[in-house]
Amino acid sequence: MISSSTLRRIVRGRESGTTFGLLVLCVGLWIATPYFATAANLSNVAEQSAVIGVIAIGMTFVILTGGIDLSVGSLVALVSVVIGSALQRGVPVFAAVAIGLLAGVVSGALNGLMITRGPLPPFIATLGMMSVARGAALLLSDGRPISGFPDGLRALATGEVFGVPAPVVMMLTLYLLAYLVLTRTVFGRYMYAIGGNEEATVLAGVNVRRWKTVVYAISGLSAGVCAVLLVARLNSAQPIAGIGYELDAIAAVVIGGTSLLGGSGSVIGTLIGALIMSVLRNGLNLLGVSSYLQQVAIGVVIIAAVLIDMALRRRVQRSSR
Amino acid sequence: MRATLSVRRFLVLTSALLIAGCNRGPDATARPTVALVVKTLNNQFFVDMEAGAKAAADSLGLELIVQAPEREIDVERQMQIIENLIQRKVRVLMLVPNGSKEIVPAVVKANVARIPVVVVDSRVDDGTLKAAGGTVATFIGSDNEDGGRMAGAYLIERLGRTARVAILEGVPGHETADARLRGFRKALAGSPAMQIVASQPANMERDQAFNVTQNILQAHPDITALFACNDVMALGALEAIAAAGKGTAISVVGFDAQDDARKAITERRMAATIAQNPREMGRLAVLTAHRLIHGESVPAEQPVAISLIR
Amino acid sequence: MPTQTTPEPGLALQMRGIRKAFPGVQALAGVDLDVRRGEVHVLLGENGAGKSTLMKILSGALPRDAGTIEIDGRAAALASPREARGARIAIIHQELALVPEMTVAENIFLGRAPTRFGFLDQPAMVRDATTFLSRLGANIDPNLLVASLSIAQQQLVEIARALSLDARILIMDEPTSALTERESARLFATISGLTARGTAIVYISHRLDEIFAIGDRITVLRDGRNVATQEVRQADRRALVRLMANRDVDELMPPMERTTGTPRLRVEGLSHGNRLHDVSFNVRSGEIVGFAGLLGAGRTEIARAVFGLEPFDHGTVYVDELPVDIRSPQDAIAAGIGFVTEDRKREGLVLSRSVRDNVALPILRRLARLGIVHRKAETAIAQSSVRDLGIRTPSVSQLAQNLSGGNQQKIVLAKWLATGARILFLDEPTRGIDVGSKQEIYALINELAASGVAIVLMSSDLPEVLGLSDRVLVMREGRITGEFTRAEASAERVMACAVGI
Repeated sequence: MISSSTLRRIVRGRESGTTFGLLVLCVGLWIATPYFATAANLSNVAEQSAVIGVIAIGMTFVILTGGIDLSVGSLVALVSVVIGSALQRGVPVFAAVAIGLLAGVVSGALNGLMITRGPLPPFIATLGMMSVARGAALLLSDGRPISGFPDGLRALATGEVFGVPAPVVMMLTLYLLAYLVLTRTVFGRYMYAIGGNEEATVLAGVNVRRWKTVVYAISGLSAGVCAVLLVARLNSAQPIAGIGYELDAIAAVVIGGTSLLGGSGSVIGTLIGALIMSVLRNGLNLLGVSSYLQQVAIGVVIIAAVLIDMALRRRVQRSSR
Repeated sequence: MRATLSVRRFLVLTSALLIAGCNRGPDATARPTVALVVKTLNNQFFVDMEAGAKAAADSLGLELIVQAPEREIDVERQMQIIENLIQRKVRVLMLVPNGSKEIVPAVVKANVARIPVVVVDSRVDDGTLKAAGGTVATFIGSDNEDGGRMAGAYLIERLGRTARVAILEGVPGHETADARLRGFRKALAGSPAMQIVASQPANMERDQAFNVTQNILQAHPDITALFACNDVMALGALEAIAAAGKGTAISVVGFDAQDDARKAITERRMAATIAQNPREMGRLAVLTAHRLIHGESVPAEQPVAISLIR
Repeated sequence: MPTQTTPEPGLALQMRGIRKAFPGVQALAGVDLDVRRGEVHVLLGENGAGKSTLMKILSGALPRDAGTIEIDGRAAALASPREARGARIAIIHQELALVPEMTVAENIFLGRAPTRFGFLDQPAMVRDATTFLSRLGANIDPNLLVASLSIAQQQLVEIARALSLDARILIMDEPTSALTERESARLFATISGLTARGTAIVYISHRLDEIFAIGDRITVLRDGRNVATQEVRQADRRALVRLMANRDVDELMPPMERTTGTPRLRVEGLSHGNRLHDVSFNVRSGEIVGFAGLLGAGRTEIARAVFGLEPFDHGTVYVDELPVDIRSPQDAIAAGIGFVTEDRKREGLVLSRSVRDNVALPILRRLARLGIVHRKAETAIAQSSVRDLGIRTPSVSQLAQNLSGGNQQKIVLAKWLATGARILFLDEPTRGIDVGSKQEIYALINELAASGVAIVLMSSDLPEVLGLSDRVLVMREGRITGEFTRAEASAERVMACAVGI
């Protein structure tokens, strides 16, 4: 399904810088501590990257169109609480999850409407939603976490498919889907076109308004899926969940090589970006590095990743002139 | 080209620094490694706990790793840290959970890996733990409820059994704060003239406590006492009270006996605080870990005495 | 070549042999210009003749490639706007360069505010501003915000600023374009006052009436050269027009025999605010209708209205004699209309995407099944476009930003052809394109018309319009002021309609 030309592109293309970075990091950790390169630890790392990894899918779409979504962290809390409240009232797991995801989609679509009809700048619209959703989550749950859920939901976090943790399977499946959508469908092309030059895309007869709204709905959906994962993992729906997740998601997207200006980047890059962040955190824990230094390290990696990406991009541009 | 070179150099330097600034892999000294995971290291209370633990570890010949999330409310991050430490094959896990119920899956993972879990300061919810089939080796901590009771009793005595009281709650659903509130309320229940006129959460954060106190003062300008579930919030409340010019009219009681709180008490701005002795908790935790490594049995409850500082 | 000249008594400015080239085009090819003290020297020329480039060089905003400039007999480098100000040259642009949220006084002394011990000396600023304003006979309170003033008053503020710079040479670019008759008259009085004091004024305008009213001498620029300098008394209107427009119509246009069919597009009574007034025209299949006129005459507005980008107040559009309601580009494309915009980088292409992606963008839906794009079909269409239009690119995967201007424009054309458009609006189709590619594009346009497409060509390049069009419509200030067949059309006639004789 992944053609040789795609592989060639990955090796020689923009993602190569980030992949190289990930490899360097892994090799470095492998040397520095024997606890890193074990099957169990790597499985943990993959599972830990699922939380931000899933949100980062939606964020990639949004950033590709030249926008941004600051509300995803709060949406995680809101959807968690919606699911928790539903389960508390005896709604079956399947339905509760569906209602939660719907809440995410609707909130995202609201973001999209504010941005296309306002028109409000995405930063402002999603900043407002960040506050509103957080408040809604606190209101709905009366500020208290909701816990004690049926096993069916927990299985989403603890289950395994052929030895691979369920969250990882979910994440990889969603990434594959996103990759196919972005590279093969009309919608995917529109994403890149809108981000590359919105005016020209309007002139080409594309209903940019509609598709931008859809993109933010997708971001809301990603946040919803993350919420499902979180509730399953913690066995609790917390209205204070997700604080700061939007920044981690943006970091994953940026490290992965997607330009904040829109129009270029790939979802594969985002996956690698999310992995880099998880590997880094995991490694620093294993090495017992002071928590204060950890915060510095993560910032440094983000800056370094963007610098490398910019340098690579300049090289690619120069060689194709 | 030049850009890539300098970037590479920068990366190499950073990685070198990072690798240098941490413990290398398998212990060359072969000292047993234990881990302490606290709520956050951005709080004086846990920094003190870490200090007590470090001292004990050094004297007992243990290697101590201390990790924590950035925020007290981040349970997911704590879970990830614990998962990573399990991979690190630490001998004992000492834990101050950010979520009494939410942390249970992580405890179970430690159980499966045969790493004993020592719970410090904040309890893991018993019901959830039993339902998940998990166990903890011991609980080291103060009786937070007792501490709340002491705070209540002190206020009753100081204000002559009559007062209009405001309460600053912590993070809703957190066992520590809940216990302190319970104790405080029970103490006041016996004196009907002690009226609780307001009770609002401020999430254990200083600036939130400032705002909430300001709002409470608007609605109830005649309060005579304020109890905050931790000193961080009490200090925020003090500033709001000072700004409203009611410095002498309101008696403020906190919890945790942080340095700033002690100072405020000596300066007579604050009435009292409850000292928990986090240093002692850290010491006891490491001592317990040492005993567990050597196969000794430990009691299920190890209370650490609390005292009223006034 | 620079010669040692004795400064004529009363010569404020002497420019000799000014050359300036931009990539692909020689904007100024050795211009000489003399401006006497106290005279109003009018600079005349059509778009692209070199007026604004020359004035940018004079005001220090652009460096010149060659040539000398002497101010009051002294050589001047004018390497920066500050140096130009130092040489007491001030320029008032068509778009006024004032800060709306600051007061009149602050604007007059922008960047040069008087200070006392490091603090703004407000009273001194207001006092000085009042002095300059009153010298102009302008009754404006210096403490008012510029945003609250009328355009005419803002213009006076700009002139006051020039005065405060003690400008000896004042350049005014189309100063009356936003003024009423009365305000213009007052402006002329102010100008007279300035010239009486010895200020030299370079006055750029298209309005022949004005020129004859206040000008002392006229210089006509054409193709980057000074083709004539005359005293206003001795000038003849028709002769001026001929000077402005008369060029060799390039033999770039292969003449083609074409038969025209039924009206494909008919526009009746199109009006929009004060930008379009009752515009009506039609275009047949196989016909090229050219719209000529000066910049801002309203040509692009027509295209934008018909293409669904801007709403209009009145008017009906008929495609194949059936009325259509076009509210968005989608509707226009569905009706078979395509629009090659004047700024291909900003509106025509997604530069960061490949040739293939750009060509296929409007028709992706057609190339897809259940939302999934049929890669092979997409590539096939792109490749046949590249072949048919002669687009020079190593492959259809090449990014659009890496192609030359001419090839980029061809991609835009290809895109619209791929939608099957039978009515095509071309807005400045060869702007910024080298001569060789221009010829190719002209050939393409002719071929398209021959195959039955109805083409509306909008261009400020007169030879282009004259060479390609079967009929020429001239626009001026939102109205169609003239219509000529190919046989009737000539540069002078068109120019005359464009400036309003």
